[in-house]
Amino acid sequence: MKPGAQRIVAPLVGLIAFGVFWEAAVRILDIRRFVLLAPTAILAELADAPDYYWSNAVVTGWHVVVGLSISLLLAVVVGSLMASSRFVEEATQPVLVLVLVTPWVAYITSVVLWLGGGEPTVLFMVAFTSFPVFTFGVVGGMKSADPAARELLASVDARPWEVFWRLRLPSALPSIFTTARFAMGLGLAAAYFSEGSAFVTEGLGYIGQRAAAFNNAEALWATIVSSALLGVGGLVVITVLERLLLRWHSSQRS
Amino acid sequence: MGRLPGQTVSTRVPSLVVPARIEARSVSKSFGALDALAPVDLRVDDGETVTLLGPSGCGKTTLLRLIAGLEQPSSGDIVVNGMSPTDARRHKQIGFVPQSPALLPWRTVEGNARLLLDVNRRASPTTPSVSVGDLLVEVGLGDFRDAYPHELSGGMQQRVGLVRAFAIDAPILLMDEPFAALDEMTRTDMRHLLGRLCEPLGTTVLFVTHSIPEATFLSDRVAVMSPRPGRITEDVTVELSHPRRPELEDTEQFFHITTRLRSGLRAGLDR
Repeated sequence: MKPGAQRIVAPLVGLIAFGVFWEAAVRILDIRRFVLLAPTAILAELADAPDYYWSNAVVTGWHVVVGLSISLLLAVVVGSLMASSRFVEEATQPVLVLVLVTPWVAYITSVVLWLGGGEPTVLFMVAFTSFPVFTFGVVGGMKSADPAARELLASVDARPWEVFWRLRLPSALPSIFTTARFAMGLGLAAAYFSEGSAFVTEGLGYIGQRAAAFNNAEALWATIVSSALLGVGGLVVITVLERLLLRWHSSQRS
Repeated sequence: MGRLPGQTVSTRVPSLVVPARIEARSVSKSFGALDALAPVDLRVDDGETVTLLGPSGCGKTTLLRLIAGLEQPSSGDIVVNGMSPTDARRHKQIGFVPQSPALLPWRTVEGNARLLLDVNRRASPTTPSVSVGDLLVEVGLGDFRDAYPHELSGGMQQRVGLVRAFAIDAPILLMDEPFAALDEMTRTDMRHLLGRLCEPLGTTVLFVTHSIPEATFLSDRVAVMSPRPGRITEDVTVELSHPRRPELEDTEQFFHITTRLRSGLRAGLDR
């Protein structure tokens, strides 16, 4: 098989084999619907109301995109300060570690009370949970900028913003893309859970939470699969952007 | 198109008539308890190529970085083109060539060659004497303008580094062992190329190396340095005629000077 065709066929074979195994396990072991629903039942549910799941997936996707964008923007600002000052880096690092390791599901109720629920809470949770990951990526990337190139720019008295724009930010792009993949997973989880807890009336998290409350396993599993597909879509977008923007980087060369 | 090698011949001005392009007076540098450079005096006149030659760790790069304004001296004064090193950087009076090519991988060859023109634009020459395009052609990279650094060999990358330094039309070039990472054949080609570029433009060059043939071929004078804390132990005038051609390296005169420099280095090590 040609390498190009193999790159498409091999993952498909893997997914189909996984689906067959899943379906067989559910049928043979007679697993309860809420524990694990058969893929055919989930597909039937999605096919039954595609617009419903699509429109809610769009809302969740929007929450993830906006939340991650806010997070990335703040991470670039904070990360730049950390990369240019050892003191700022050492002062900020423990705070970021705290944010990273504290289970956000534990304090989401306080955030709902603080922000009054609704979309701001969802966006805050997506941005807040992904912020440390993005920031560490930005700091690591900016600090990896070639010291000889930094010196070269200093030899003609380049302004700090010129060093940032022409050297530090492009140097950080590879690690930003790497961390974006983790941030995508974190952001999606935060969006799903927050939509179910923050008094919003749209989004996969909201309908998933309602399905769980009403004992509707088909709808619950349909939101789970929709979220997974949303995540895959996000990763595809990140990969395409990476290919376009990092053509010069060794990771993108065969 | 501006001046290109072969079009004009530089006129060297006697040092007593005009102020030096670079003057270091009793300059020393310590890093904490470590004395990297003992008090050093150095003068480089207009259009002159002076090489700092010495063993690894003798402080020659430190002296170059002090002159470039990238480090502050612990004592002494430095004047670069009539101003402090900091002002010289601000006015783009220095074309710096670091040890590694330091090319930005996301910029093309032309983009990299233009890098120093693109920053601190107010100090860039409005009409450079030689355009980036002409310089790229001159160094044999005319067909590689749109290539990326990873598509170039080490020697080609360093040629881009040379063009980048020449592009800003700075009167002074500071070069920190730019050919150290290259193989011997490429290295020889590069010093011939550098000689060809510098001579007609009359650029003042301070060159750091530990290669004796490189120092001999390129220099008007060689400042031989002793091991740390570095000091200039000898100032050897290289009495070879200009323009210098590659064949010069096969002459007895060339051999005589390299022998002289080698014994100077050895004497520095024995002190």
